[in-house]
Formats: sequence, structure tokens, C-alpha cells
Amino acid sequence: MRPSDGTDARKDRKSWSARSIGSRWQHRFFYALIRLAGRRAAYVMVVFVALYYVLFRPSVRARSLPYLSRRFPGRNGLLRLWDCFRITVEIGRILVDRAALGILGPGQLTVRYGKREELLERVREGRGLILVTAHAGCWQFAMESLRMLETPVSLLLHREEGDVDLHIFEHSGDEAAFRIIDPAGPLGGALEMLQVLKHGEVLCIMGDRAMGSDRSTVGVEFLGARVRVPISPYRLASATGAPVVVIFPYKSGPGNYSLLVEKVIRVPEDLGRAPEAYRPYAEAFIRALEGFVEERPYQFFNFFDMWNQEPTG
Amino acid sequence: MTTVEKLKMILVEDLNLEELTPADIYENAPLFGEGLGLDSLDAVELIVIMQKRFGIEIQNLDEGKAAFQSVHALASYIEGRLKTG
Repeated sequence: MRPSDGTDARKDRKSWSARSIGSRWQHRFFYALIRLAGRRAAYVMVVFVALYYVLFRPSVRARSLPYLSRRFPGRNGLLRLWDCFRITVEIGRILVDRAALGILGPGQLTVRYGKREELLERVREGRGLILVTAHAGCWQFAMESLRMLETPVSLLLHREEGDVDLHIFEHSGDEAAFRIIDPAGPLGGALEMLQVLKHGEVLCIMGDRAMGSDRSTVGVEFLGARVRVPISPYRLASATGAPVVVIFPYKSGPGNYSLLVEKVIRVPEDLGRAPEAYRPYAEAFIRALEGFVEERPYQFFNFFDMWNQEPTG
Repeated sequence: MTTVEKLKMILVEDLNLEELTPADIYENAPLFGEGLGLDSLDAVELIVIMQKRFGIEIQNLDEGKAAFQSVHALASYIEGRLKTG
């Protein structure tokens, strides 16, 4: 289950899968462990599971290689294995925290908000707010933490059939902190997205995952090579006048998360439909993401080869 | 000028369909995918254009789906909404 960029998911010829690499029983094992022994016991187990995956599942190493080889160029052999292990442990622990939050309740974790007032100010503008984030840290915590805005939050999310990875609210049975707009739905969710912004609400979009046709993306340099990123957040902003805010949620310690409010992007109105018109804004996002992965290299979980993505025409 | 003609002109101008003229647009061709080739982001702009140019707000998803089938369907929808005020 992963959020998407809001373009035509149906047309997407995907080279990636959003499904968890773990099987249903493995997920259930961890959920039971968290219930019986707590989060820290699950943290320890994650180390062994990550070691197994990194040593004996070449597909796991292959999935992280495109990013790691660009973030740490020149490393190979044991150092590359170490990087792969670190990033696998990191995502494993985040998944444990996510499950613990749903199973054991909110007391398990603390979330710090940087520039909370900045976000509130942008919401008060009354033109809706577009939050652009990435497959970094734990986006589901970001969604949960946005309850503090006291404004409905919607997220573009395309959920794959058969994904066994559960949301926080699916563990707890609580009401979801956010509404889901499916980009594979009618009109690619366009009408729903506009309604959200028109009502002054918050719309969250992934800025690092391009789906749909080449016309909905633009090529930008990321970690030394070109990637295609969606223009949908910026085109929506241009059409509606909504401000764009780049946020990255990240794990700042055991059981601790922070919401980094990176920058505000203002997109002029009526820029039209040519993707090139949106390049400066996509660039601004990618520069922010580069800064994030420089500081927190093991918290970027975009496990597909962004650098080898052919335009889908 | 009929609503269909006006709509074709607006589509070309406001959506910057540089490769097309209003005469090139077949009124029964689908707006999205094959046909005019618009995508979901164009749908966003089209909804905004409807508000700006005709003062019409599409709120209902089913209504929107039906209206966005083709230029002809959209023109009929606009005429219907303008009649009912």
C-alpha cells in the first residue's frame, strides 16, 4: 500500500510493487510479538529478520541497490551489505512502530512537530493546502500527526490487491486520520482532490513516485542522475492557488518521530499543461529530498529504480 | 455560436491544446484517454475552467463522470445546468 502522485494509475506500466515483502504469517507473527512482548522485543527480532533478508534474499538487496548505489557511490562488498542491512532494519523498526501504535495505542510513540504554526498559517489562507512528501521516514505517522491541524486530511493512495501490510487505524479499529482518494478511481480522483482544496482542507501527495503518462512528469536530477517526478501537486496548486508545503516525517529515535516542514512552494496560477512549466517546483521538491537523504540516508524507502524509469508515453 | 463550438474553443485555448484547432475536435470522441487524450490533471483544469467560464460547479462524482464523456456530453451538461440556474 503506497500513496501515489494522482495521475492515471490505471495506465501505469509499473516496474515496482507496493506490496510488503513479508508474508501474511510473518506480519501476524510480529503483531503477536508486539502484543505479548512489546515494541522493543519486536525491534530485536527485526534485526534477525533483516539479516536473513539481506543475506538470503537477493531480491531484497536488488530493491535497495538503485538508491544505495547513488547515495553511497563507490561502496561495494561488505559495505554495500551493511548499507542494505541498515536500511532494512530501519524500515522494519518503522513498521514495528506503526503496528505498535495501532495495537498498543498512542502512548507508544512521541511525535515532534517542527514549524507547526507554519502549517496552521498555510491552512488559514483558506485555499486548501497541498502537502508533498516522499517515501521517506514513515508517511503514515505524518498522516496521523496531521490531526493537530484540526482540518480534514486526504491522501492520494492506490492500494494494491492482496497487500497484507495494515494501516495504523486497521490495527486499532479507530477511525482513519485521513480520507483516501484513489487515483485509479473516476477521473483519476480529480473531482475529489478539487473538493478537498475548495473546502480549505489538506491534500497529501507523494512527490517522488511518478505514475501515468510522460506528460504528467518532468525529468529532474536526483543524486546525480535524472529521475522522473510527478507534476501533479504543482499543477493542482496552479489550478487552485493552494500553497504547497514539503514535509518529511522521520524517525528521530526509538519510539520518537519528527515532522520536518521543509519549505513552502508557491506556484503561480494558470501555468497551463506543459510539464516544463512545473520543472522549477519539482526541482525545489527534489532539492529538499536530496537534503533529507543526505542527513538521513537510511530513511528513504523508495524501493524501485527511479533512475531507470522510461517514459510511459 | 453553439455551446459545443464555444466549448471546443475553450478547450483549445484554456488547456493549451497547441496541436489542435477547434475544428479538429470530434464532438463525440472521448475527452480522456483515446480521443482527445486528456488525463486526470487535465480533468482538474477542466473542472476549474467550468467554474471560471460558465460558473458551473461539478460536485457530484457521477454527474462529473457522465459530463466528461465527450465534448457533446459536456455541452449538454452545461446547457442543462444553465437552464436550471
